[in-house]
Amino acid sequence: MSETIPKLVLAALVLSLFATFNVSVTYASTGSIQCPYKGGSLVIIHIGDPKSFNPDAKADDPLYAVASNLFNKLVTLDFNYNVIPDLAESWEASPDGRAFTFYLRKGVKWHDGTPFTCKDVKYTFEAIRKYKGVAYSLLKLDMLEGITCKDDYTVEFKFAEPNAPFLGFLAWYGTFVLPEHLYNKTEYTDWMDPNIPELYKPVGTGPFKFVEYVKGSHIILEANKDYYAGAPCIEKLVFKIIPDAVAAMQSFLAGEGDVLTVTPPLSEIPRINATPGVLVLARPMPSRYFIAFNMVQEKGRLTLNKDFRFAIAYAINRTEIVEKAFSGYGFVAKGMYVPAIAWAYNPNAREPEFNPAKAEEILDKLGYRRGADGMRYLPDGRKLELKLVIFQGATTEAMAQVIKENLRKVGIELNIEILELGAFQEKAYKDKDFDISITDGFWGPDPHNMHLRFSSRGTHNLPGYSNPVTDDLLERAAKEADPNVRKELYWKAQEEFAKELPYFPLVDVVGFYIFRTEWKGFYWELPSKVGIYVYAHVWWTKGVPVTTPTATPGTTVATQPTAAPEVVPLLSVAAGVAVVIVAVLAFALIRRKR
Amino acid sequence: MGIVGYAVKKAVEGFFTIIAALTIIFFLVNLAPGNPIYFIAGDPVFLSPAVVEYYTKLWGLDKPLYYRYFVYISNLLRGELGRSYRFGGPVAQLIAERLPLTLSLTITSNIIAFVVGTLLGLLAARKQGRSTDTTLTVFTFIFNSVPGFLLGIVLMLVFGVHLKLFPVAGLMDLKNPKTGIMLYLDIAYHAFLPILTLTLILIPAYFKTVRDSAVQQLVEDYVTTFRAVGLDDSKIFRKHILRNVILPPITLLAVRLGFSLAGAALIENVFGWPGMGRLLLDSIRERDYPVLMGIYATVVTAIVAISKVLDVVYGVLDPRVKTGR
Repeated sequence: MSETIPKLVLAALVLSLFATFNVSVTYASTGSIQCPYKGGSLVIIHIGDPKSFNPDAKADDPLYAVASNLFNKLVTLDFNYNVIPDLAESWEASPDGRAFTFYLRKGVKWHDGTPFTCKDVKYTFEAIRKYKGVAYSLLKLDMLEGITCKDDYTVEFKFAEPNAPFLGFLAWYGTFVLPEHLYNKTEYTDWMDPNIPELYKPVGTGPFKFVEYVKGSHIILEANKDYYAGAPCIEKLVFKIIPDAVAAMQSFLAGEGDVLTVTPPLSEIPRINATPGVLVLARPMPSRYFIAFNMVQEKGRLTLNKDFRFAIAYAINRTEIVEKAFSGYGFVAKGMYVPAIAWAYNPNAREPEFNPAKAEEILDKLGYRRGADGMRYLPDGRKLELKLVIFQGATTEAMAQVIKENLRKVGIELNIEILELGAFQEKAYKDKDFDISITDGFWGPDPHNMHLRFSSRGTHNLPGYSNPVTDDLLERAAKEADPNVRKELYWKAQEEFAKELPYFPLVDVVGFYIFRTEWKGFYWELPSKVGIYVYAHVWWTKGVPVTTPTATPGTTVATQPTAAPEVVPLLSVAAGVAVVIVAVLAFALIRRKR
Repeated sequence: MGIVGYAVKKAVEGFFTIIAALTIIFFLVNLAPGNPIYFIAGDPVFLSPAVVEYYTKLWGLDKPLYYRYFVYISNLLRGELGRSYRFGGPVAQLIAERLPLTLSLTITSNIIAFVVGTLLGLLAARKQGRSTDTTLTVFTFIFNSVPGFLLGIVLMLVFGVHLKLFPVAGLMDLKNPKTGIMLYLDIAYHAFLPILTLTLILIPAYFKTVRDSAVQQLVEDYVTTFRAVGLDDSKIFRKHILRNVILPPITLLAVRLGFSLAGAALIENVFGWPGMGRLLLDSIRERDYPVLMGIYATVVTAIVAISKVLDVVYGVLDPRVKTGR
């Protein structure tokens, strides 16, 4: 009985998500910012410190949300993972899928006042290619023939071969346009040269300007009055850094923040949602936990047998995993790709459903007989044992326990090996030292992700899978310019995966959006109007009402003195003084003793 | 041997201790499984041979381990700690930024714990066997056994969430930012709960040391004599026993101060305090070898330096220490 409660709560949360879409204010087209109220500081409880303020160099999740408000991309993703315009107002791809032309927005200015032009775009992507930026391989910049500025506001990318997933990945990660006039100087060795001031004080084109960053504590941004879509409604955007999930949640509940982006312990979700003035929204994400079977050719490897893989899949109760490992906040993963990327998802390519009787039947047929202890044995007398390799974490460990119990019931012994993330990468991805393994990850924004994860030429092929049929389908899809043909190829690949089962989908992750309802206009309320993580449209119901569209008289706001440089000496002086006092006391005592 | 010669000997000893310790740590860190490049790529979908090659070259990971070790040691001797894999910036700067915030927690709490622990230890010794002594012993035993982060969460829930007397987490109030002197008071206000947590778990060591040696002093002949001549008990404690028991806790404090550079990772984590401990934990998790080695070098140097200075000071105070007799 108690198990059903979280599911009901979840249903309510999902419903509340859709409800908010209906109550949202009508906004003008193409994302221009409308402010019913002005003013206020929005405080986001944030997961961690960025690595630097170059958003294209390294994978840097803590920077991504901050960078989304400081910088712009050519195109970006909205809340539904659709590609929407950003610095490029429109674009076109050549019929052969090798060339992409972007028509850039005019009148956009960098935060230092310099106009944004095509040369910034050209510099950015050439730098990503030269310094192996994080998006380098996803954008296939190794195939790039050249970037041409046809004029200040028209840029063309040309590739040696068709690059169909280009637009999707361009809208995603590590593709923020950098200011050429500040980065491209001969005295810098590369784009991460510590002498570049913009690595510490970023200058972007985004809706907010950089004010200050105190490492480990917070990042403060202020509204960019010259933003191309209009000035943001709020005055300041603050990221308060608290990596610990419990501390972050408590800090949010104590009123120290307005948006909680650090996922809280799942068992606390109902309590947070019940807090007055706080709303929790939830939805399935294109992020998925799945089982990878070891598909590397080796004599005697049991998982190479398709029937055996199906037997394992039939034996696993995923509903139980959702309830026990996710406190009910997860979705049993359906199909061989993620439903959240709707156009590419083939609902007919289905994975095996929980059916232990069928699992037993297959195992019997394979000749794995049960011994006196109830466990199964191979024909040569060895016990039927499998090694499951996972990375550390409450969720993965709980999942592994459920799977172990499920498999024990059909007579398979599962030995769980839990590794710290770095060791997991080495052992699972590199050495392929497992029978089955569990991992998670983002499966979007483009179905080309399947190529990365399950093609023999993929960079991220955990099962070590190699199948000429799917390899070919995914390869062709990556080179196909026509979206309808692409879809057809991906649908076929999913059918083949469902037939062969080199991986078995487990759970689709729930994304939570936790915020105080006195703030409106979040990106989750405005799909197709604003990119994910961008807080430019947020307004505060307790702010100053905007009655007439006339310009507000010059609001002079006293700027904060930057805290960091002053804090540090004072504290060290205090510490020093304390040490001296103790030393003097100790010395005096010793002297007196003599 | 003169005191100068003795000091030089200790300094040389200290130098080789540091090098030996860092050598062991260097190999342990570098031989642990896991590749730092995986963390730069983040989600392995970003990983491609070109990216791996670029960073392998950039960081010199293509060189054999012994070669990297000699590069590390020679850089270290020149005071060069290298650049962080994750942040790109100089390691020395990263440490310098975090150190004051960490020290403001650890030094403050060590000093308070030293003072309070010593006083409570004397009090318990004076009331030996009575209820005050028993109560104090039980409480310090409890605080000695409770994991720091757990105590931190309990204090946070009680004083921050329920009583709302103190802020829950963070360095300063970002909803209503303060300026000038109020900013420092605000930071001190935010530091209260972490300092309280650290102090509570540090007190037992001082308490136990002082109480036990004071109890031993009580049966010494000089105490019996003083009591026999009718000296006031509080005077005996204040003027005589205190001086005889104060050296061990001072030694303890000095050693603790050496360790305090490493921060208090778990407690800093609970209260969202941006100290060295958190930097250390993150660097371990993401295999940021240069930062990791930089923090260890700082901590090892501080601990060895303090212990060698203590050796020399004791040598001055008590010549028996110096000659080893």
